[in-house]
Amino acid sequence: MTQSLQNDVDPRLLEVLVCPISHGPLDYDRQKGELISRKAGLAYPIRGGVPVMLAEEARTLDEGE
Amino acid sequence: MSAPPRLFDRSLHRARLDRAALDFAAADFLKARAAGDMVERIEIILRDFPVCVDLGSRSGIFSQILSASDARPRVGTVIETDLSGTMLAGRDSLRLQVDEEALPFGVASLDLVVSSLALHWVNDLPGTLIQIRRALRPDGLFMAAIFGGQTLTELRQCLIEAESELSGGAGLRIAPFADAYDVAGLLQRAGFALPVADVDRVTVRYDHPLKLIQDLRRMGETNALADRQGKPLTRAVLARAMGLYQDRFSDPDGKVRATFDILTMTGWAPHPDQQQPLKPGSAKMRLADALGAIEQSAGEKPGEEPS
Repeated sequence: MTQSLQNDVDPRLLEVLVCPISHGPLDYDRQKGELISRKAGLAYPIRGGVPVMLAEEARTLDEGE
Repeated sequence: MSAPPRLFDRSLHRARLDRAALDFAAADFLKARAAGDMVERIEIILRDFPVCVDLGSRSGIFSQILSASDARPRVGTVIETDLSGTMLAGRDSLRLQVDEEALPFGVASLDLVVSSLALHWVNDLPGTLIQIRRALRPDGLFMAAIFGGQTLTELRQCLIEAESELSGGAGLRIAPFADAYDVAGLLQRAGFALPVADVDRVTVRYDHPLKLIQDLRRMGETNALADRQGKPLTRAVLARAMGLYQDRFSDPDGKVRATFDILTMTGWAPHPDQQQPLKPGSAKMRLADALGAIEQSAGEKPGEEPS
């Protein structure tokens, strides 16, 4: 629980962020600690509250996810 | 349109920054100078910038200097980014790990984008400038300092000479740099209004040229060219280059000089209220009258083909 709180993304970041690959919107998955870009099919990790907006660090979304 | 050639290896550059993060403060004097200069320029601009992004913030020196300045009350949220996650670690400001080649900011979402000594490592500077201009709101400000011009000219000369002497050929060991003229043109091409670029030449003196190389490593500024020669720089070539450096670029007290040209560029996202040039032909007075000169025909009229 403490972990997930520390990993929360500041709403001021969410206001300006888009996917760097597709420039589409991002969905914040608080549970998984990821920013999801449906358009690019990528999930960007959040490490210690810092979104990692690098394609090479992103997880490819599974079919139907 | 074909992709621009990839001059830099971005993942190698990221690894260099990761490694430099621990000791960055030991050699951050150029970054501090560039960031301090930018803060001074922002101080005299009397308007508010609600959302600011600092690209390539490294240890966060820009926001530290900003916090102590008269400009702080006019700058709202400051978001720090870096290609290296290690550079961003250990503080609790608003941070994003970002590749300056693929920016993750929405259209017209920012009021101020700054960057001190980071953007000289992007492969496609025009592309990055266009992305920044799009991310800015109308009348938003972009200000960046990069290494340019004659930066490290002494080291470049010595490495090339030592390597061609000992290996019968020399590769590119130091990245090519843009000059102020190039950069002002790029800003204009990227759609910025009122583009300005200027150069601050800094001559740093070192006890030994190896101390310069140590500083470059601490700054994360060592070679990240994509087309590095297969063979790394040998000890013999490095020793010869250091010898040449001492012979040619020493002051009478034995210290060696290293040139850094810090190029600062400024541009605004276009807005109708900004000053505009007049339409051609709309002048109400002759230039010759204003200058008190006698106008002499050059013998050509506009539209006429010179014979």
